[in-house]
Order: sequence, then C-alpha cells, then structure tokens
Amino acid sequence: MTATATVDADRFEHEALFYRGDADYLAGLLPFVRDGLDSGEAVVVAEPRARLDMLRDELADDAPAVEFLDMAEIGANPGRIIGVWAAALARHTRAGRRLRGVGEPAFPGRRTAELVECRLHEMLLNHAFDDGSGWRLLCPYDQEHLPRAVLQAALHTHPVRSTSATRLPSDAYAHGGHVAAFAEGLPAPGDAVLRGVYGPGDVPATRRTVAQWARSCGLPEKHVEALELAASELATNTIRHAGGTGTVAMWLDNGAAVVQFSDAGTVTDPLIGRLIPPLEQEGGRGLYLVNQLCDLVQVRSSGQGTTVRVSTWF
Amino acid sequence: MRTHGLVEDVPGAGPADHLCWVYADDAALDRAAREFLAGGLARGERLLCVGERVIESLLTSPDHDLAALIERGAVETLTLAEAYAASGPFLAEQQLAYYDAATRRATGEGYRGLRVLAEVSDLAADPGQRAELIRWEHMADDYAVHGAGFSAMCAYRADLGPDALADVASVHPVVRAPGEVSSFRMFVDGDRIVLCGSVDAFCSDRLARVLSAAQADDDGVVLHVADLAFMDVAGLRVVARWAAGLWARAVSVEVTGASALLRRMWQVLDLDRVAPVTFSAALA
Repeated sequence: MTATATVDADRFEHEALFYRGDADYLAGLLPFVRDGLDSGEAVVVAEPRARLDMLRDELADDAPAVEFLDMAEIGANPGRIIGVWAAALARHTRAGRRLRGVGEPAFPGRRTAELVECRLHEMLLNHAFDDGSGWRLLCPYDQEHLPRAVLQAALHTHPVRSTSATRLPSDAYAHGGHVAAFAEGLPAPGDAVLRGVYGPGDVPATRRTVAQWARSCGLPEKHVEALELAASELATNTIRHAGGTGTVAMWLDNGAAVVQFSDAGTVTDPLIGRLIPPLEQEGGRGLYLVNQLCDLVQVRSSGQGTTVRVSTWF
Repeated sequence: MRTHGLVEDVPGAGPADHLCWVYADDAALDRAAREFLAGGLARGERLLCVGERVIESLLTSPDHDLAALIERGAVETLTLAEAYAASGPFLAEQQLAYYDAATRRATGEGYRGLRVLAEVSDLAADPGQRAELIRWEHMADDYAVHGAGFSAMCAYRADLGPDALADVASVHPVVRAPGEVSSFRMFVDGDRIVLCGSVDAFCSDRLARVLSAAQADDDGVVLHVADLAFMDVAGLRVVARWAAGLWARAVSVEVTGASALLRRMWQVLDLDRVAPVTFSAALA
C-alpha cells in the first residue's frame, strides 16, 4: 500500500475510500478497522445492513469489539448523522479512547435528493469536527454504482482520498465548502404547488393545513403527525426568529410529499438542527426534532432568506 | 372520564360540575345562570350565588319564588364584599375552607350538595390576584371531584381580554366562550390530572402557570394526556420542568395515555435527563 497522506493523530481525519466491488471494499476497509482495534481505538461502523453483515462475517472473532450501526436507519435523513458521530466521539473521549469511524452515507440506492444532502453532510462534518478532538472517519464510495457527480463531489468534501491500494491528499478538496453549499438554493418544485402565507397567530392554522394536506395525500397517520409537528416548529421559528411572516408550500414530487417553509431570516450556524442543544439551552430543539422525525430535511440559508424543505417518502 | 369540552348550552346538572362561563351580554348570563341553578334545585342541592351580578340575575328570575327558596334555605347569596369578609383576603386555602364548610353545612341540613354560581370577573381582571385565582380554580376543581358534593359555575365577562380569559378557561373541564379562548384545558379526574386540547410555544407559558397551580399528592402525580391533540417541543419541555420541580420534592410523575409521537419526542429530546417520568398506558 502506498501511503503518501500522513495521519495527524491530533486532528480530525476525513477520508473517502473509493471501491469497486465487495473484495475491493473489504481490502480497503478491513485493514482500517483492524488497525483501529490493534491500537485500542473504539471502532464504530455505520453501513447499510448488507454491508454490516458482510463485515461481521469477515471480522469474525474481531466483530464483537466493533460497534455496528445501520446507516440506512441512523442516517435515513443525512441531517441526523453528525449528531450520531458527535455523541460517539463524546462518549469515547470521556472514556479515554480515540474514535475511529466508518460511515457510508452516500450508499447506492439513495434518492437524488438524499445524495444532495449527503454531499452537504460530508462538508459539514469537516466544519463540525475540524477544530475538535482528533479522530478518523473513513467514508466508502461505491465507484460502480454511484452517479459520477456524487463521486466527484466526494473529492471536494474529503481532504484525503484513498483506494485499497493508495492513500493521497485530495487536491480537489474545498476547505470551507459548506458555506457556499449551505447558501445555495434547492431545486425548484414542479407546477402543482399549494402555497400559503403565515404570520403571528397563524401557527395552529398552518399546522392543521399541513396535516390535512398530508392526510389527503394518503400518508400514514404517523407521518401526518410528524409533519404537523414539523409545521408547528418551523412556522414558530419564523414567527420568533425571522421577522414573523413566512410562506409554506406543499407539493408532490417523485414519490415524496414535500412541505417547505421559507422566510426572510438568516441562519448563521449551518449545523443548526444537527446536534442536540445542551439541556440548559432554551431554544434550538425544534429543527433538531424535525430532523429526527422526518424522512429528509434540507436547510438552506443566505442573506436572501431561509428555506427548510421536508420530504416524506410514500 | 369526567365530562369535558367546549359547550354552547348549560349541560344537564350532574355531580362535580365545574363550568367556566364567558358571557358577552347580561341576558346570556341570566339564561345560563337560571338553567344552571334550576339543575341544582332539581337535584336537591342548595344554591349559593356569589357576586352582585349573579345575585341580580337571580332576583330578576321569573322561574322561582325566590323569597320562598331563600326562606327555606335552598338559596343563599353572598356579595363579593360579604365573601371577602367571610373568608378573608383572597387565598385559595381560605376559599376552600369556606366552601368546604358551606358544602358540609348544606349536606348536614339535608341537601344533596352545594351548587355555587360565582361571578368573579374582578378577580380575573386584577393581574395581582389572577395567579391565586387560577390556584383556587384548580383547587375548587379538585374539591368538586373529591369533596362532599360541590359544583360550580364560574362566570367571567368576555371583555376581560384574551390573556385573562385564557387563564381562567384553561382550568375548567367544561368551557363556554365565544371562540376558542384557550387551546388547552386542565382538570381533575379521579386521582389524575387531565390535560387536553393543544399546546404550542405560544401558550406554553400559560401551561407552566396552570401546572404549577395544580395540587400534587406526596405519593405522586398522574398526568393523563390521551385527549391531548397536539403538543410541541415548548409544551413538552414545560411538562418536563414541572416534573423536575416535583421530583426535587420527591414527588414522582406518571404520564398516561401519551401518543407514540409524544413518547418519541420525550426520548429524542432526552427529557429523562430533566425529569425521570414514567410513561404508561391509561387504565381508562
């Protein structure tokens, strides 16, 4: 193995592993996991179920020492993943162990909108952990099954790129790329969009409207209730923090019921809603809860305003 | 469960009635007052009218021979001045002592209970008195359920303003008001406190005030939320802080009838770290 990128133990090392097929995947991943175990590090692997099963088999007697998380579950909405890593880092750092993670958020089979969000998530990982405790995160990318644009983006979002045979600095890495990504717009909705304007005093009516629309779309009651809560929290944020008036838009798009809240406010912290606020902090839980309860949450904000798009899959 | 909800007309009289009656005009109050009192008479209860406004309503009633009713003790009246003189400064505990004695006296004299009609808008209008009024309303609700036969209709003028009306309406099981003055209601049902309706960030401060007015047994408090249609993060945090305050006094809190979503919210927001609350299915 040619290793031209060095590892700085005091820093967050964020590395993309490009692989072709199962054998190549294992050839790249197993040494990373075993090195971690040999060094006494806490190894946490977040992969879709099939990959977890394969890794467990290959690791054999070493498997019990590894914490396995189902990425399709914990990262169904990519907005939840940073919170999972932050919790693992805090837990293991408190216990005096260095963390070594494997996370494949952009796994094959993801919807286009989810892959867009995975890209922002990868950028925000650098922002979230670059100035904190040192740990390593390896993010596998399936070169055979992922769209080319996703693979290209991984070069921009990871300072280190590797294969089973090489480990190199990524020349394309864009430090601080999350700033522009967080400010860029989301794809415009299709034609049949229901819109409404809400202001102070309209939150109950807004959440009822969203719930009624979600129900009329045929979403199960569990999803209707989650969307009703999301509507209440997001409209409340507008009233409390963004000038008091906003727009809600609802439409159907490619197997999803989409509800979007827009207002004139600006969110300065791009990690908003991804980390649980400290217990004593008064606000900041609404968007965190929406991220935890809804299928896909996309937040974008700039000087032109803030948009939160919530998609629920049928 | 005890009858609760928003009504247009006076419900049929029953034990432990506790109605909040917001009225816009005198004629509407007169009609409701007569109906409420007639229900009490039919049940064999003594009537007690508190406040000049309802006494006047009673005096103008064409339905009964008031003099005869007063003569035989079936009806008593109390002006606010007399009420203060009888029970002292407005304190919930003193109110309870007064009405408990009056209820026992009524049952001791052969009545089935005491049915009170009180017009206490002036107390609700006074911001300095309102918190104590809310505490008394909750105590009165508990007494209606657990006492010796006490029922009440609390009449409030509609022009008190939205905040005062929301405060008083939120502590009655049955409310009549022009429009939704409070999106939630809290009342006593058996050994539990029932919270129903909707709570969001814009009324969570009120929920905090109302919960803090609730009486807590040392053995623990059961908060029943099966009829809670909606609660957001702010509302649930109020419940957690209330539970934490009780926990600090070694009083445990059990929440019954919570939806799957409410339980999930509690877990996601890690509110067990604020207060160790037990969630369980409701018995009834």
